[in-house]
Amino acid sequence: MNAALAPAAVVVRRTISASAEDLFDAWLDPEALAIWMRPGSGIRNTQARVEPRVGGRFEINMHAESGVIPHSGVYQVIDRPRRLVFTWISPHTGERESLVTVDFLPRERRTEVVVTHEQLPDAKRDAHMGGWTRALEKLEEFRQ
Amino acid sequence: MRHTSIFTHMGEYQSTRLDGVFNALCDPTRRAILARLTDTDARVTDIAADFPISLNSISKHIRMLERAGLLRRSVVGRDHILSLNAEPLSEAAAWIEKYRRFWEGRLAALDAYVTSKKRKRQ
Repeated sequence: MNAALAPAAVVVRRTISASAEDLFDAWLDPEALAIWMRPGSGIRNTQARVEPRVGGRFEINMHAESGVIPHSGVYQVIDRPRRLVFTWISPHTGERESLVTVDFLPRERRTEVVVTHEQLPDAKRDAHMGGWTRALEKLEEFRQ
Repeated sequence: MRHTSIFTHMGEYQSTRLDGVFNALCDPTRRAILARLTDTDARVTDIAADFPISLNSISKHIRMLERAGLLRRSVVGRDHILSLNAEPLSEAAAWIEKYRRFWEGRLAALDAYVTSKKRKRQ
């Protein structure tokens, strides 16, 4: 998909000292996911189940004090070690489908991992931010 | 569950609304119109004069921004005055900010995970 035509999205990048293969595999390995797909605040442990094929499902359950936070989706593209695309549903997307694309770009002996998260967000009304100009600047910054 | 259905309903309402906001913002002319209205309200004809495209095209962009709830129109005599409504924008920015932090955290954890694994192999 041409990213320039897509609506505003969250784009996050990080260059990591590892091969694209090692990084790619960490996204589809349930034991690896259980370790790194664990947001810091209050998540005691994470359990992951994956069906690593196009059309296959994944479930990532994050166990918090208040109960389980379920995340799930379906793999759309599995192109090792270049690109992974999957749908993403969680309480934070209002239980609606959003889309996550992960690109693995070789950078000499390292790999740049680019996560693009888009479509059907659910904003929390109580999460207010400062002036609208700042908000627009942020959107401009994240738009690709 | 009653509670869940209310939550889902609200989620759908907000998602549809945010789709409109994101679609409205994905065009440079529409972003320029919003930027133009940051400091002061303006007449539709003033805005049209600022852009090298037809009044008809500008009107379409303005209608899309109105549908997204980003613009308010008031009619004073023969003039249509446009003003900015920032509220839907802060909702969109809040969503983006929340997920940006989430994925930044996950990529940092992925970095730590592969780095420790590599150290164990050596």
